[in-house]
Amino acid sequence: MITPGFTDPLFLEGAVRILFVFVLVTAALVISVRNLASLLTTYTVQSLLLTLIAGLLYLIEGSPVLLAISVLTLVSKVLLIPFFINRVEAKIKISRDMKFNYLEPTSSLLVSIGLVLLVYVFLSGFVGELALGRLFFFGAVIGLSLTLMGMLVMFSRRKVITKVLGYLTMENGVLLFGIFVTELPFIIEVLIVIDLIIIVLLTTIFAVGMDSTIEEYRQKLQRLHIWPGREYL
Amino acid sequence: MSEPLLTGGLALLLLGTALSFLYRSKNCRTVSLGLTFLSSGLLSAFAAGMLYGGREVLIESYSFLSPLEFSFFIDRLSAGFVLLISLVTLGVSLYSIKYVEDEKSEGRKSLHVALMNLFIFSMLLVVLSANGFSFLFFWELMSISSLFLVIYEYEKPESGKAALFYFIMTSLSTVFLFSAFIGLYTRTGSFDFRGFGLLSPEALSWTFLSLFFGFAIKAGAVPFHKWLPYAHPASPSNISALMSGVMLKVAIYGLLRFLLAVEPELWWGVLVLAFGSFSALLGVVYALKENDIKRMLAYSSIENVGLILIGIGLYLIFRVSGLAGLAGLSLAAAGFHCLNHALFKSLLFMAAGSVVHETGTRNLEDLGGLVKHMPQTALLFLIGSVSIAALPPMNGFVSELMLFQAFFSSSALAGAEAPFLKVLLVLSLSAFALTSALAATLFVKVFGITFLAKPRTEGAERAREVPKLMLLGQAIPAALCILTGLFSARLFTLFGLPVGFGSGAEAEVPDMLFVGGILMVTYLLVWLSVRNFGPSSGPRVCKETWGCGGLAQHPSMEYSPAGFSEPLVVIFKKIYRTQLSSSRSFADSQDCVFEHGTAEIRLIKFFEEYLYLPVAQAVDRVSMKVAGLQNGRLDTYVLYVFLAVIALMGFTRWFA
Repeated sequence: MITPGFTDPLFLEGAVRILFVFVLVTAALVISVRNLASLLTTYTVQSLLLTLIAGLLYLIEGSPVLLAISVLTLVSKVLLIPFFINRVEAKIKISRDMKFNYLEPTSSLLVSIGLVLLVYVFLSGFVGELALGRLFFFGAVIGLSLTLMGMLVMFSRRKVITKVLGYLTMENGVLLFGIFVTELPFIIEVLIVIDLIIIVLLTTIFAVGMDSTIEEYRQKLQRLHIWPGREYL
Repeated sequence: MSEPLLTGGLALLLLGTALSFLYRSKNCRTVSLGLTFLSSGLLSAFAAGMLYGGREVLIESYSFLSPLEFSFFIDRLSAGFVLLISLVTLGVSLYSIKYVEDEKSEGRKSLHVALMNLFIFSMLLVVLSANGFSFLFFWELMSISSLFLVIYEYEKPESGKAALFYFIMTSLSTVFLFSAFIGLYTRTGSFDFRGFGLLSPEALSWTFLSLFFGFAIKAGAVPFHKWLPYAHPASPSNISALMSGVMLKVAIYGLLRFLLAVEPELWWGVLVLAFGSFSALLGVVYALKENDIKRMLAYSSIENVGLILIGIGLYLIFRVSGLAGLAGLSLAAAGFHCLNHALFKSLLFMAAGSVVHETGTRNLEDLGGLVKHMPQTALLFLIGSVSIAALPPMNGFVSELMLFQAFFSSSALAGAEAPFLKVLLVLSLSAFALTSALAATLFVKVFGITFLAKPRTEGAERAREVPKLMLLGQAIPAALCILTGLFSARLFTLFGLPVGFGSGAEAEVPDMLFVGGILMVTYLLVWLSVRNFGPSSGPRVCKETWGCGGLAQHPSMEYSPAGFSEPLVVIFKKIYRTQLSSSRSFADSQDCVFEHGTAEIRLIKFFEEYLYLPVAQAVDRVSMKVAGLQNGRLDTYVLYVFLAVIALMGFTRWFA
């Protein structure tokens, strides 16, 4: 029997490509899933995929920073952040986010496909300057698309908790892009993760007062005269 | 700075500003205005010296970022305008010492003085600026300090409207100047005014248009004039004197500074001349209809700015046509008229301020008979009126005569465009001649209605002469009006301006001292002959004027201002565009028994209703649309960011 060589770069690259596809699938799910618990699971899976990608890349490149990133992602995004958000979801007693702004899930998915294509065309204009390998170019496209899709989630969904997940998705995209193109210094990556954790913590705190959409939260603030914001048409 | 007089003068002004900003007492205000007076004296001496000596001084003062630096430059042009500013402030500062004390609150009185000093200071530095950055900086300081003075009586609703008009128009003017100076910077790499000479002809034309519109708005040329008749009545009279007398001239200075630095084109001159002719004629025509004394003076300022622009237009046309002598004459006429208008208009505004102060009304219909109660003010107002009506031997006569001379010599024009130019100049000349005549009529009306006959209201009856210091403040420009008129020829020779006097040049200006002497002798002879050989040799009998059989004369029988201007209003009916409206109501359903009715003749504010308001409404509609983008929802803003990122990606991929 021929046992496949797990350290064979070609095999590893193929595995990374497969993981890219899964990352895209999770992004599509973040855009369209209505059940909050499944949404969180999707995010956790996405982060786990990123952990795996960073790990595989470490096997290909051998750079210890990649291993560190892999471990950091595992600890923060697969374990810590989902744990906090789970607490929030338990507290706010809502399980589904049914409301959408500007784009319904179907059109959001269509727009996402357009986004991936646009990012591909956009980056292909810079291939010469960036001097990337084919895998790395692919990774950059996926990373940037993931960032934009996270942003799309942020404005197209109503519930705050979904918006937070959209933001986290955006950050995952930045991480992916960073791994494949710019080689972010590790310290920056750590700082970003700390930021994320603080955001999620804040969300946890606000969840006490903010259990539904951001509009209702603002009305609550207005009632308490905390924020004199005026409602326009 | 190595110029002690200049430094001293500016420092005193700043000291005066700070003093009345910090301390709110009458003594401080008096000291502060005293400092203004002193500084005006120093600056006048400095400017006269510079004008006489013809020196040029460049002062690199402060640079806080590489292209953004304050630097100042003094040549004869800027010295001339410094002289103009300081001569006017000499009188206005004295006048203000008593005038500002009329206000109730201490804080506002002090603020008035402080802002006035700041206003004067900024105008001086605009005129001294050597680059676009310092020019714009002090230009804005000038606009803002005067804006606060326009809105000084902010409780009155018309002040708010005036300030809004003024603010929008002055900002618009700054936009034009800004674009011109930015253009200068992008093409030459520096804001320095000397860079104007390096621009390509096409760039120069754009710069000219931009600067011309910017300065025309600030100078109040038709159709950008609308802020003037609002802002002047709203502000205190000493400020009106400064704004009308000096600030409009600062805009003219800017235009001249540019035009003298570059090689002009013919169409520039045609444009300036056309604007000037329209402003002059429409300004005086609107002034004739006006019954508010300060608004009337504001319209008259528009007319005079028109005359100055006519002079500048002629200068450009003659210069392009290669007639240096005539160009010099027109330029000197424009410059001299700047000075003259500054003198007599500030005098008239101050005198009108005294009248308003004493009678409590600006409406000519409510004045009358003031010559008996305020004889000195009447005399001063008369001097101003005679000067502005351009009667010899006053200064207004000289500058207008110079313009006429330039027009009359235009037969010297030659070349392909000469026929067209000659027709244009004849048209412009007729407008100018009509303007001069109407201006004289206007001031006959204003002086007659305000000061002669009997008081029309109790307010006019109660008026008393204003304090000596206020009279002294007006006496300075009045004396200067006479002196600059009488000694005009000598002044031109003394300051060596390029106008040939009695030296065989194409155009000469007569010696006003001689003319004045002849006039004096004539008046004396007439007076003596009337006294000695007239009918009054018998016993003098005083009787009431024949009143058509009525027993007593009543003020309502007097010639009213509306009646005085009625014939002209009929002639210029097409321009005034009145609107007749009437309504009737009846007591029965068959419309037979008349119950109530109103009829009204309303003057259509042509420019306001057909130009300003439509533009304002269009801006308003666009703003409402844009404001709709700002809906206060987080999602929308994230969407905007998202779209911006997408657009940026597309842009960098395909266009950058």
